[in-house]
Order: sequence, then C-alpha cells, then structure tokens
Amino acid sequence: MSDILTELVVPFSYDYMWKAMWVSALVGAVCAFLSCYLMLKGWSLMGDALGHSIVPGVAGAYIIGAPFAAGAFFAGILAALGMAFVKAHSRLREDATIGLVFTTLFALGVLMASLHPTSVSIQTIVLGNILAIPDSDATQVVVIAAVSLAVLAFIWKDLMVTFFDETYARSIGLRTRMLKVVFFTLLSACTVAALQTVGACLVIALVVTPGATAYLLTDRFDRLIAIAVGIGTVTSFVGAYLSYFIDGATGGVIVTLQTLLFLAAFYLAPKHGVIAARRKARVVRDDNLRKGSGLPESGPVQESA
Amino acid sequence: MDPIAFFVEPFAYDFMQRALGMSLLVAAVCAVLSCYLVLKGWSLMGDAISHAVLPGIVIAFVLGIPLAIGAFVAGLACALMTGYLKYNSRVKEDTVMGIVFSGMFGFGLVLFTKVETDQHLNHILFGNVLGVTAGDLLETAIIAGGTLLVVLAKRRDLLLYCFDPNHARAIGLPVNLLHYGLLILLSLTIVSSIKAVGIILVIAMLIAPGATAYILTDRFERMLLIAVAVACGSAALGTLISFHIDGATGACIVLTQAFVFLIVFLFSPKRGLWPLHKIFGREGSGSPEQVRGADAP
Repeated sequence: MSDILTELVVPFSYDYMWKAMWVSALVGAVCAFLSCYLMLKGWSLMGDALGHSIVPGVAGAYIIGAPFAAGAFFAGILAALGMAFVKAHSRLREDATIGLVFTTLFALGVLMASLHPTSVSIQTIVLGNILAIPDSDATQVVVIAAVSLAVLAFIWKDLMVTFFDETYARSIGLRTRMLKVVFFTLLSACTVAALQTVGACLVIALVVTPGATAYLLTDRFDRLIAIAVGIGTVTSFVGAYLSYFIDGATGGVIVTLQTLLFLAAFYLAPKHGVIAARRKARVVRDDNLRKGSGLPESGPVQESA
Repeated sequence: MDPIAFFVEPFAYDFMQRALGMSLLVAAVCAVLSCYLVLKGWSLMGDAISHAVLPGIVIAFVLGIPLAIGAFVAGLACALMTGYLKYNSRVKEDTVMGIVFSGMFGFGLVLFTKVETDQHLNHILFGNVLGVTAGDLLETAIIAGGTLLVVLAKRRDLLLYCFDPNHARAIGLPVNLLHYGLLILLSLTIVSSIKAVGIILVIAMLIAPGATAYILTDRFERMLLIAVAVACGSAALGTLISFHIDGATGACIVLTQAFVFLIVFLFSPKRGLWPLHKIFGREGSGSPEQVRGADAP
C-alpha cells in the first residue's frame, strides 16, 4: 500500500514535473477563459486555424534562434491578414478560406522543419513537449498566460457585452472595435502558449472544450467562466501529472480528460444533459396522459424549460 | 541544372516511381472530393475526420486488422458522433466537431505512446511517400480508385445534394444516403492518402484544388477537370522538388498546390485580382464577373 502511495507522489519530487504541472494549469486556465467566448460565438475553428498557422513562425524562430513567441506571433498575424485578403477578393466560402490559409502555412512549417531537422523538431511543435520545456520557453509561456489572464479578469464583462449585444455596448460607451482587437490579440497569444503545452493539433481542445462543458452546466455567464476556468486548470494540472506515468503525450492526456468531462456533462448535466432531458420528457408525457390531452405535439421537450 | 535531368533523373529510382504514382493517385481522388467539399462548405469536415483517424490506426494495430479499416471506422465514428452530440445538446456544431476530433486525436496520441507499434508517428502525421511499397500502392489504388468511380458515377446526385438538399429531397433522391455516402467517401479518401501525405496535410489537398478550380469556372464538370489537373500537376512537380531540395514530400506537394491557387487567385481572367488581359493591356473582354465575385456567398 505504502509502495503505491510513494509511487503516486514521485512526480512531485521532480522540479521539471512541478514546472510542467503549474505551467500547464496556467495555460489551461487562460485558454478555458477564452473558450467561453469562442464557443458561444461559433468561432471554435479559429482556434484550430491559429494553432496550425503559427507552426512556420515557431519553426523559423527556432532556426534563427529567436524567441519562439515572436515568430509565432508574426505567423499568426500573417495568417489573419492572408485570410482577410483571400476572403475579401474571392467568392470562396469562409471555411474554405480559413482551411486553405492554415494548411498552407502548416505545410510551410513542416517543410522548414524537414530542411533543418537539427534545430527544429516538428514533433515537438505539433505535439507539444511541456515535460522537457527549456526554462526560457517556460518563462515566455508563463508571462503570456499571466498577462492574458490579468487582462481578461479586468475586461471580461466588457467583452461579454460587446460580443452579445454590440449596439448596447456602443450605447453605453464601450469601444467595441478596440475590445475585439484586444480579444483576438489575447487569443493569438494564448494559442502560442498552448502550443508549448499541448502542441499545434490540440490547441483547439483547450480553447473549446472547457467552455462547452460549462455551457451544459449553467445558464449564467459569470458561472460559465468560473466553471470553465476550473475545468481547464484542474484537467491541465492532473493531465500533466498523469503523463509522468506514461512517459509523455501530456497534451493527449489533458485533452482526453477534458473530452471525458464533456461527455460526462453531456449525459449527466442536471438541466441540459441527455438523461435529464429524457426524464423531463417522460414526466411531461405522463402529465399529459393523466390530463387526457394526449401526447405533446412535438418530440424533444428539452428546450421547454 | 539541366532542365531535362530535373525531370528525368529522379525517376531512375524505383522508390521515386512509386512515390510519383502514389502522389498522382491521391491527388486525383482528393481533388474530386475537394470540389464537393468547397461547394458544400464542408472544408473543415475534412479537417475533423483526418485528425480523428489516429486512434483508429493504433487500435487496428493492436487488434491486428488492416490499419486502413481502423482508420476508416474512426473517421466515420467522428462524423457520426458529431451529428449525435449536436442533435442532443445545445452546443453549436463547429464546437462539437472541434471537441470530438481533438478528443479523438488526443486519445490517439495517448494510445500511441502506450502501445508499441512498428509505425512511426511522423509518418502517420506527415506521410512517407518515398517509403511506399508496391503493396501500399496497390492498396491505395484500390481504395482511391473505388472512391473515384463511385463519386464520378454519382456526381450529379451528389452535386444537387450539395447545392440544394431540399430540392434533392423533393425530386425523390435519397438525401440521407447521399449525406452519409459523401461522409463515407470522404473518410475513404482520407484513409487512402495517409501513406502519401499523412493525416494533417491531406486537409490541404481536400481544399486547395477545388478552391482553385472554383475561381476559374462556373461549370461543375469543368471544375472537376481543372481540380484534378491542378492537383496532379502539383503532385508531380511537388514530388520532384522535394527530391531535389531533400524536403518533406507531402509539404512540397501542398505548397505547390497553394502556389497554383495564389497564381490563379491573382491572375485568373474572370475573377483574378489583376487579370492577365488587363496587365497586357488588351481591352474588350472586360469582366463584369469580377464585381459579382466579390459579394457572392
């Protein structure tokens, strides 16, 4: 018994594990914060596109030895401009435009890495490698995440009003355009941070899943944020901890945990879960039968609450 | 360098011949599918399904069944699960899609770390077209060829379904069958491309050719032809370039396709930013299309 316990606390005795867990938790928290807005606005795939687009920037930064955050940011801006440009001047749908730009940039990153295999590990960029993150990179991630979290804590209400009722936001004197620019800057910055913990392909999970899970559990926006941030922090911390036992795939473990929580909420959520909806449908049906008014006219009663 | 040697020299090697055959096959079938995806607005469905096949590959390896079958089942499961979760909850479709495919990809990574396989993760992710065997080529030819035949045989039904599902239903087409049929064909296409370009770069091949052709023409049959021509030309050129610069083959193919798109986007006679005939000063064939192009959906 005590052997198992010793086994379980082993990760805490390594400095690099502490670092990995705290950095992951911080990144998980700030990404979860952003996920509340992305999910409600239907911008989920922006996270995916950004995550893939910044790969050539990161690869380029490693090749010339610059800070990775600078390269990533540059590539992110290039991607945003490219998408806006193609969209403004062609009749392609938005999804095709987004897909075209981010896959091209991603391929560019893969090519750059294949030409300089010694200075860039494409696998590290795509899959993340928080367990072996160098101190200089960890510092960049922590600064980005902490600053973003502080800014968000300060303007979350303004963002909420801006995104869900822009006219009202303007009427009470908010500078909506400015707020949107700030939001997307924060999103790119957090994508860059998330790249280091879970890798380019899984960034989308961090900026979507916690918000969606929380959305099944509450109807109030402040609680939504609280729950999402809680989920993001805990799953990232625990995920990094668990990945010690399987020697890697930290991003995979974190995202798997988040997905499992989403599925649990999908079935078990008290009000919006599948089981609750079925029970409610049954109650309504029985009521109607008792009253003799027959079955309710249309199927799902889910929305009637 | 001698231009003839540029084209001929690489094919003295057997592996280059196989690589070229593989790239052409995959490019052709992806190009045909891309026309439908671009029109239907399903570009990101390719993104989702291709990421989601990862756990299928690992599980198939554990069970000892062909990897293609595992990949196919996983890809299809992703599409079906997205539909199920969306129908039964109040979360938006794109969000659900993101959750499902990233969850499956993450789970696949965990499995891959735990299971000892003879597969190389980089090869699954980015393809390894220079290492294909004759057997791989045959397998791809069967899957891709079959997919291609079905799509071409049903191209009009699929087209109507993509444009106007209600009309398709009204005239008695089996809309559900077409919907799931298209998903199945998409999954098969992705499965057939894994060996050549990998599960991440295939997303590009499922968008770029169709998007390029869509800028050039208004007629669907022509769009199919142009897309296939662009894709195959780029695949051949990309393979050659990758041989000479010693870079990742899949990435070179994708970048060549993107380059062709950029050229067309800038200089296409009807909808280009700077149409060629204007640059060279030939008047008369003015293009009212250009105005329309800007605000079309």
